[in-house]
Amino acid sequence: MTTPREQVRSLDDPEVMVQTPGTIYDTIPPLTPRTEREAEFYDVGDGEMLVNLGPQHPSTHGVLRVVLKIDGEKIVDLDPVMGYLHRGVEKICEHGDWHHAISNTDPLEYAASMFSESLPVLSAERLLELEVPRRAEYIRVLAWELNRISSHALFIGWLALDLGGITPILYGFGERDEIVEMLASLTGQKLLFNYMRIGGVNGDLNHDFLSRLGDWMSRAGARINDQATLMNENEIFVNRTKGLGVVSREMALQYGMSGPPLRATGVPYDVRRAHPYSVYPELEFDIPVRSDGDSYARYLLHVDEIKQSLRIIDQVLHQMPDGPVMAKLPRLLRVPPGRAFAALESPRGQYAVYAVSDGSDQPFRFRIHDPSFFNLQAVVPLTRGHLLADIMAIMASLDPIMGGIDK
Amino acid sequence: MLTTLDGRLGDRLVVPAEAMGDTIELVVRPRDLTDVMRTLRDDGALRFELLADLCGVDTGLTMQVVYHLWSPLSADWVRVIADGLSRDDPRVPSVVQLWPGAEWAEREAYDMFGIEFEGNRDLRRIYMPPDYLSFPLRKDFALADDASRGTGAGIRHAEQPVAPAEVRLAPVIRSSAGAGAVLGADGELLALAASATDEAPAVDSGEEPA
Repeated sequence: MTTPREQVRSLDDPEVMVQTPGTIYDTIPPLTPRTEREAEFYDVGDGEMLVNLGPQHPSTHGVLRVVLKIDGEKIVDLDPVMGYLHRGVEKICEHGDWHHAISNTDPLEYAASMFSESLPVLSAERLLELEVPRRAEYIRVLAWELNRISSHALFIGWLALDLGGITPILYGFGERDEIVEMLASLTGQKLLFNYMRIGGVNGDLNHDFLSRLGDWMSRAGARINDQATLMNENEIFVNRTKGLGVVSREMALQYGMSGPPLRATGVPYDVRRAHPYSVYPELEFDIPVRSDGDSYARYLLHVDEIKQSLRIIDQVLHQMPDGPVMAKLPRLLRVPPGRAFAALESPRGQYAVYAVSDGSDQPFRFRIHDPSFFNLQAVVPLTRGHLLADIMAIMASLDPIMGGIDK
Repeated sequence: MLTTLDGRLGDRLVVPAEAMGDTIELVVRPRDLTDVMRTLRDDGALRFELLADLCGVDTGLTMQVVYHLWSPLSADWVRVIADGLSRDDPRVPSVVQLWPGAEWAEREAYDMFGIEFEGNRDLRRIYMPPDYLSFPLRKDFALADDASRGTGAGIRHAEQPVAPAEVRLAPVIRSSAGAGAVLGADGELLALAASATDEAPAVDSGEEPA
């Protein structure tokens, strides 16, 4: 049996080409424009062209595609396209019990997952009105601050890498490596810790962790300074970041930004002080604030925050109380009906959750607010009119993590 | 802050402002939303200028849009719930004019719940592909293991295994009516599995040898 000649179709056949559906990689949307803004964006003017940045471009820190409308080297407009890492975490959390939510929210902020995995923990504890043992609270603060330093160290390296400097990321990863090894001896995992529990933490401090921590603390301050001196007055770095991507105070508030991008504009909004949780009210630390609002100010703010985190860790180690690390809770945990908004200060800003419980053991609604999502949104007005190369410097200084943005 | 809020917004609140922990909850009707949000942001005694969160909620009966606001003057967050949106055609005025940063959050609520934000110029899907048709976070969007929620909410779904293919077509619930019985929302028997009724005549007519 041979195939009849008329049934042989090739891609040269115009009819086949018409039927081939557009893929998600097409710059021009295969469908008719859905909104006013989309129609306006994809209406390409004289001398302008559309270019895809990503989804696998290293400077997008994950899988983000940005459609750029450029005129020569100048960015006329841009349209970020998200959803490449979308898993439907909120739906998944509604379909597992409260304990499952911890490991489901773990990979959201994958550079600092101690924070995202605390969301179900904090919201459930609010609804249960649960008192967590003090030792567990101190251990949590210790884990959070260590993770914050590792994330900030990585940020500083990434920022320099996106601007073309290779060395700082080696320092950043050196720092992160030590902290991550340390946390691995505490939690058993290097990346997705799954350490927080409703009512406490999974396991007490151990000798291996404490000896690594003591070892690292003895030289951490000096090492952070090392890394900072490499960049603070580096002429190329300063020229490429100073005065770039300036966010004003009004704009930061209008765009719902939080974390370092918001504090770099002079708004002292840090959830650890604005809405204290855990044992932060008992600890002494400052909220670093800068007023310039540019990429350089955001970078300096990260360095300041690392120093404050070291200060917190020092106090936690001196004040660590004895006692249990888990509250007594029934195994099948039914959370009382109600609504709770819980937030914590992650390295990228206010990580919040709005949880609704219907009294069963599963969350009824589990809304996750990711700070990167709101910070990244500001990249659109910030990069309009800038040069193509500046989009990296601006985006890297906003420090988005796509795992949390795409959920 | 609670009394200030009640004084400024009193007539536009569905129920009096209520403090829940460190959050003050205000429930408003969708048509009053823009007005209330503008007062909350611009009033000198309130200054809730940071939109801390915006999300949609499907309660199963109605749709809600829930806003959380932060003010430098208050120790509490304010939660504004625009309640009572119809599930068939949920509509609410957009707050993009007040907070441009609400645009993506509204796109997300549209993508997940189908809520129309009137005034948002860019209300298209943000996570799901452009040709996607459903709204995944709605309560009537059933997952493969949803049968467990029907009879015993609170029982882990791992304890009630149901084949995924069956559930997607119709909510099949194991009951005393027999395997494969399809029950309505209030437990009435809607249909029996086709295989059970087809088998009986097949045995009778099987006498004739080939």
